[in-house]
Order: sequence, then C-alpha cells, then structure tokens
Amino acid sequence: MSEPDDIKLMERCSNGDRHAFELLLARYEKPVFNAAYRMLNSADDARDVTQTVFLKVYEHLDQFDPKYRFFSWIYRITLNESMNWLKKTNRLGALEGDTADTASGPEQEASNQQLSEGMQAALMTISPDYRAVIVLKHLLGCSYHEISEVLEIPEKTVKSRLYTARQRLQETLTERGLH
Amino acid sequence: MMIEPKYFELIQADLDGEIDLAGKAELEEFLAASEEGRGVYEELETLCRSLDGMPEMDPPQHLRHVLLNQAPVKAAAEPSPGFLRGLFSGPALGYAGVFAAGVALTLALVDSDQISRGTFDDMTGLVGTIADSKLTAPEHGTISVDESEVAGTVTLRSAGPLLIVDFDLSARQPVEIMVGYSDKTIWFNGFAQLESIGTTIAAQTGAVTVNMDGKRRYAVYLNNPGMRPATIDLRFMAKEQVIHEAQLSFSGTG
Repeated sequence: MSEPDDIKLMERCSNGDRHAFELLLARYEKPVFNAAYRMLNSADDARDVTQTVFLKVYEHLDQFDPKYRFFSWIYRITLNESMNWLKKTNRLGALEGDTADTASGPEQEASNQQLSEGMQAALMTISPDYRAVIVLKHLLGCSYHEISEVLEIPEKTVKSRLYTARQRLQETLTERGLH
Repeated sequence: MMIEPKYFELIQADLDGEIDLAGKAELEEFLAASEEGRGVYEELETLCRSLDGMPEMDPPQHLRHVLLNQAPVKAAAEPSPGFLRGLFSGPALGYAGVFAAGVALTLALVDSDQISRGTFDDMTGLVGTIADSKLTAPEHGTISVDESEVAGTVTLRSAGPLLIVDFDLSARQPVEIMVGYSDKTIWFNGFAQLESIGTTIAAQTGAVTVNMDGKRRYAVYLNNPGMRPATIDLRFMAKEQVIHEAQLSFSGTG
C-alpha cells in the first residue's frame, strides 16, 4: 500500500483528473469488491456496494483527512456500506446455514472448493462486526493497528474480536465436519 | 489442565505476526511444555491458513466502465451533454439505478407510438422525466433481423459522444449477439434493459457480447469521445453458429 501515491492520486482526482481516478480504481476495485462479497455473500450485492463506495469516495474527496491513510478510509466506507446493505435487507444478524454464492470454475479442486464454500458459509453465521475483522485481517491483510484505524476501535478490541470470531468460526466448521 | 488466557493471546499474536521477542520466547517455552497448547496452536494455524487461502473473485468486467463513467462529473470545465452524466453521478443511484436511467434514456429516444402501444406502461414516469430534457437523438440506421431463431430490429442512435445501439428483438432460443467496434477510442459505457432478468452482457476491448432469450428490449451504450465515424458490426449466433450478420454506421459529427 503505497500511501504517498494514494494521496497524490486523491489530490489529482480533486482537480478533476480522470486518469488518477482510474488508477485508484485499478488499485482498489478488487479488494473493495472482495471485501463486500465476503461481508454480503452475494456477487450482485458486492457489485452494487462497490459502486456506492467509489461514488462516495469521488464525491467526498475533499472531506478526506490526510492524517489517515487512504486505504483505511476506503475500507471503512466499504464495511459501513456493507453493514448498511445488510441492515437494508434485514440480514444484519448472523445467518444460520447461509450458503456461499461462489463463482468458482469447475477446474477447482473439489475439496478446496468445499472448504472455501464452507468457510464463506461459516463467515455468514458470525455477526457482521466479527466478520469485518476477519475480512480485514485475512482478506485485506491488515495489521491490528490498521484494523483499529479502519474500524475506529482500540487495538485491544481488535484482538478480542478476532479471537472470538475465530473461535466461533472454528466451532461452526467443526460442527459441519469441515475442520 | 486449563490454558491461561495470556497464552491464547500469545498464540494468536504469533500467528498474526504481531508478537514481540519477549512474547515469542514465553510462547515457545509454554508450547514446549504443553501438549494441549500445541494442539490449540495447530488448530488456530489451520483455521488461519484456510482463511488466508480463500479465493479472490474478479469483479464483473463492465463494473469498471460504469465506475469510470462517474469520474468526469467533478471536472466541471470539461464540455459534456450534462444531463446524462448527471443521471449517472447521483449518490443515491445504485447500480440498478444506472441501468434504470439508461432504460429511461432509451425510452425517451424511441418514437412515441411504441410507448403508446402500452409496451412500456410501467416506465412512463421515467419517460416523462427524461422527455423534459429535450434531448435530441438522431437515428443513424436500423437493420431488420428475420431469422427462425431471432427476429426484430436494431437501431443506432447518438446523443453527444454517446452511441446507442437499441435492440428490440424476439428470440425463440438463446441467442448471442456480438457488438463489435474496431475503433480503439470507443469504450463500453453502459447497458440498459427493461426486464431485470433474461439478458446478460459482457464487455471486452472492442466488443460487447449480449446473451438473450425471449422478447427483449435493451440498449448498449458506447462512448465515442471524438464523435468520429464508426462502424458497429453485429453478429448473431445460436448454438455456436452464425445466423445473421449486419453493420450499422455512424458518419461522425466531430
């Protein structure tokens, strides 16, 4: 995550530089889409949330506080928009037995796919707050400090949420014979 | 024997790469002495590996085009038709909203007797809204398709730098339509359909592929920034066989 570049791109975007926006998009489209997908378990919903996220980024460029890092800002928007989407669709609670809406190809090894789908289904059984720390840690590769910055919670809370989230995932996977 | 909470913390910190040297030494000492501790460590390590190994998905191809279309709104100095970009730029418009706006635009461009036939009764509110914009949309040609698999018309229109390929087709079986354009400066700008299901679209460089079945009304939007002359190649396929080919031409206004 090359922060000076992000900030420069943000400045260029503010001046109406379309190419700078294209570069930011190229850098963050995939992580944003994947984070939303893991939060929502739906590629269609993730697509809509991704669009909303970039609209918000573009429209609020001037509100970005450069003391924070760009990725923490865009990931925060992504998770907030995902939470809003869950609220709007009455899926804010943990979903028992939700199945994964994956788009993996037939060439993928069956056992890996089963585990991956099982993991996504298990993710949907924990609350969105716990899901968010898992997404930030394991999908977006954030450190405790970065997670605390994105979610605006103390690092101590990050650690305890991660611990509880993993414990619940492990229980669910064990119950389903996937771990 | 119960494991003290601090060791759970150390195990997690180690697996997350967030442990300091003193913590690492303490953890190693604990693990060397505790079989239960080693079991917990291995279980958590396996879980973390599975989570790290979850596959990443590629976003839909056309999403970037839709997102990029939002970017020029801030560049107030850039000349543009205005209302179209405004339609796409509102924060309240979701992805479906973009398509709905596209549908409305398409409907504003079709002649009024098509609307009065009642085909689009459910969209009249949107038509009214867009009609107020007094958008002119010259027609540059229509081709008719009359094959056993698919029949109907395809019309090429333009609105500023936008080329609108307007499909009104009925297919008896799944049909794939490739909309090709060799001019590299042209890019896919959007898609609109009246039905929410039944037609899918994929955009590649120089071509947009639409899959449809049944009676469908939809439009493909191409951005032709230089408003240069352009040729749109249409290839209709069913069961992997070419069943019809046609061309539509835009003579350019740039």
